[in-house]
Amino acid sequence: MSNLLQRATAGGHTSPHAMELADLASESVIVSDVHGVIRYWNAASEALYGWPAMAMVGQRVQTIGSLAHNGTDHFSALLREGRWEGVVHRRGLTGTEIVAAVRQIVRRDTTGALLDIVEFGRNAGSLSEAAYLRMDAELQSSLAASWELDTSAARPLLDAITEHRRSGITIDFDRHPDWVDKLLTTTRILAINDRAVRIFGAHAGYEQMIGQPIGAFWPAESRSVLATLLESVASDRTRLEISKMVLSGSLRNPVIKAWHSAEPKPPDTVFVTINGVTNDERTSWELQASENRYRRLVQYLPTALWQVDSRRAGEAFDQLKANGVRDIAGHLERNPDLVEHAKDVVRVTDVNLDAVSLFRAGNPADLIKPVRYIFAAAPGLAERVMVAHFEGRRNLIEETRVRAFDGSIIDVLFTVTYPVPPEQLDNTFITMQDISERLNAEQQLRKLQADFSHAGRIATLGELATSIAHEINQPLSAIVTNGETSLRWLARADQNTEKVTQLTSRIVSNARRASDIIHRIRGMAAKHEPEKRLINLNEVVEEALLFIRHDIDSKSIVLSASFGADLPKVLGDRIQLQQVIINLLVNSVQAIVQSGQPTRRIDAQTSIDDDGSVVFSVLDNGPGVPAANLARVFDSFFSTKDAGIGIGLAICQSIITAHGGRIAGANRPNGGAHFHFTLPVPTVAGPDSSGAGDIIR
Amino acid sequence: MGGWSSGHVSKRTGSPKMPLVAVVDDDEAVREALHDLLQVLGLACRTFDRAEAFMAEYVPNQFDCLITDVSMPGQSGVELQERLRELGSSIPVVIITADTSPATRARAMSGGALACLTKPVNDNVLLHHLQSVLNDAGNSRDDRRDTPPDE
Repeated sequence: MSNLLQRATAGGHTSPHAMELADLASESVIVSDVHGVIRYWNAASEALYGWPAMAMVGQRVQTIGSLAHNGTDHFSALLREGRWEGVVHRRGLTGTEIVAAVRQIVRRDTTGALLDIVEFGRNAGSLSEAAYLRMDAELQSSLAASWELDTSAARPLLDAITEHRRSGITIDFDRHPDWVDKLLTTTRILAINDRAVRIFGAHAGYEQMIGQPIGAFWPAESRSVLATLLESVASDRTRLEISKMVLSGSLRNPVIKAWHSAEPKPPDTVFVTINGVTNDERTSWELQASENRYRRLVQYLPTALWQVDSRRAGEAFDQLKANGVRDIAGHLERNPDLVEHAKDVVRVTDVNLDAVSLFRAGNPADLIKPVRYIFAAAPGLAERVMVAHFEGRRNLIEETRVRAFDGSIIDVLFTVTYPVPPEQLDNTFITMQDISERLNAEQQLRKLQADFSHAGRIATLGELATSIAHEINQPLSAIVTNGETSLRWLARADQNTEKVTQLTSRIVSNARRASDIIHRIRGMAAKHEPEKRLINLNEVVEEALLFIRHDIDSKSIVLSASFGADLPKVLGDRIQLQQVIINLLVNSVQAIVQSGQPTRRIDAQTSIDDDGSVVFSVLDNGPGVPAANLARVFDSFFSTKDAGIGIGLAICQSIITAHGGRIAGANRPNGGAHFHFTLPVPTVAGPDSSGAGDIIR
Repeated sequence: MGGWSSGHVSKRTGSPKMPLVAVVDDDEAVREALHDLLQVLGLACRTFDRAEAFMAEYVPNQFDCLITDVSMPGQSGVELQERLRELGSSIPVVIITADTSPATRARAMSGGALACLTKPVNDNVLLHHLQSVLNDAGNSRDDRRDTPPDE
């Protein structure tokens, strides 16, 4: 019938044909317009109220009284919610009061504009006041947050309390938190409607709420109110208790009703409803549209999203703060069970599609449960999330890992956004972005950079081949000569053991020296992943000079090296920094040699600049860099050398940039070039960070 | 081995006529090694870590032979030989170098080197060259010492 009505009124006017059908209905059907003016009054309405349709069409419904049972005008609630059910009192034709149980529905067109209001009504019969109340409460429960609770397990406690009451003691639950806890833990949820699921912070958490103690979801601030009501109606089955409650969040002036269920429900079943004006003045149609938009947005958001009810953690934090806990990190470290407990009581209440696919889950329900699974592959993360929450931070962002349900470990960017009053306190949002691809790309980039700088090192080693050969030939030469000398001593009649011992030990130390040089060269020639350690730049420069010393000597260049005292350590890859230093020095050597300068000088210096960064400088008295080229010297494939491919300085720049530093070249006022790079000094250097053992990639 | 040590000059006698060789090399290990080799060959030796140090103490005819490295900070061994020739010295010079390039070798030989040996030096080869110039070197040095350098 309602289908027919809808179809008939879709055009914006009521078809008489459809109305005739409604005439046959046994329920009263009344259609009124936006202003409450009756447009249609069926035969059953005539029978129920006594008034003929002729008399009523064109009148306002209020002319026969349409107040709800509690005496309030429910019209605004009707418009807001889109429907209303309850008991109304009307004046019949004969002047008698007629009590009707009615269901009113607001119909709107696709744009949300109000079409009409359709009311279905039936005689509520002649009942006791208490029965009317109960009927009204039951009818209105669909618009309330409604709970169906099983108190059977609480029965012994309820009986004990009733016993107390009989002995004349006033029961004040505020003074018996243990009773409240017991009562709310033993009373379990049998059923719950959507509104209650939503208001009590467990979006889509229906399955997870059923069978659970009411205490797990009931707001902390109203626990004793609920306990009082439960005790009251559980001990007197005829009672319907109404009370105000405190509820932070979406409802204004919430009213809580509780009553014992009638047959055929099991005897210990209690209904609890909570009614109130939502803080949002928008109509349910608008709210629903808005919520749908929001849900669609969230569902299809290209970021995995978790909605988490962290109120239990918030309550625990309030308690800890009240107990004087300030250093939450220390407290959690001493009480790891708090973290474990939180992983179980803080629950995921909703997730979107991306979250489902990120965790390789079958459907959202797999993810809607306590948050424990989120932290499975991220040691310490739960603690940090709790610390940030405790400290009232707005959010927490870190790169971490999660274990998906298929066991794979995924790198994610993990963000928590905490609710801040007056937002809905049950909504903590967690987002995760799969960054494994980005990390892969970074890994590839690092490898590419490593390959690039390796190629540069090989090229530099090639340029220094003569110098290196000389460097390694010296100890070998000494070894050969020492060996031959030993043999001569041994061949003599007057063997000189002391001398041979001395020569042999020189052979050993020179062989070591040769081996060290080879080790250094191998370090430069090897491919390696950059490894950042805390290093002393002076030592790096000294070692780099060993590679090029002979080259400088053989070209009659005077090298002066001055090392800044007490340089702070920097984070860097020793080989790569050596590469940069050698490269800058080689450039200076080559420039100086080309210039034909009679006195050839190179100064290599380390120091600290005004910003506290560590600086390495190479100054030469060569021809300098032509002004036109200065801006391009760090570009790839820029070279002024005949045989140069022009990657040396480009590699230097990429290495220094990867170290968070800067590299620059300039001409000196009196001729020659000045190249230098700076490296930042890490701000935090722990007491044991001076060790070469700590690697930071 | 060693015609020299079994030969003309006895180290033990500490004869004033024992030939004196100068060694110039910037590498301490090489200097020490050459010093000891010359010692077992029965030759007296003085070492210098660079050409400038040798020249600072230069006295004509002080040494019977000069063994020098090429590549050193400051003046190279080849330049040192050229400088000595400029000063009129005919001192036999043995160049020892790791640098095997023909250019270096050619420049050394054209500068009047007795030999240009590649490091590591073979002791017999070195001994052979030393023997060739130091036969009766003690005497000839003494003779030369009596002769004014500018003669």
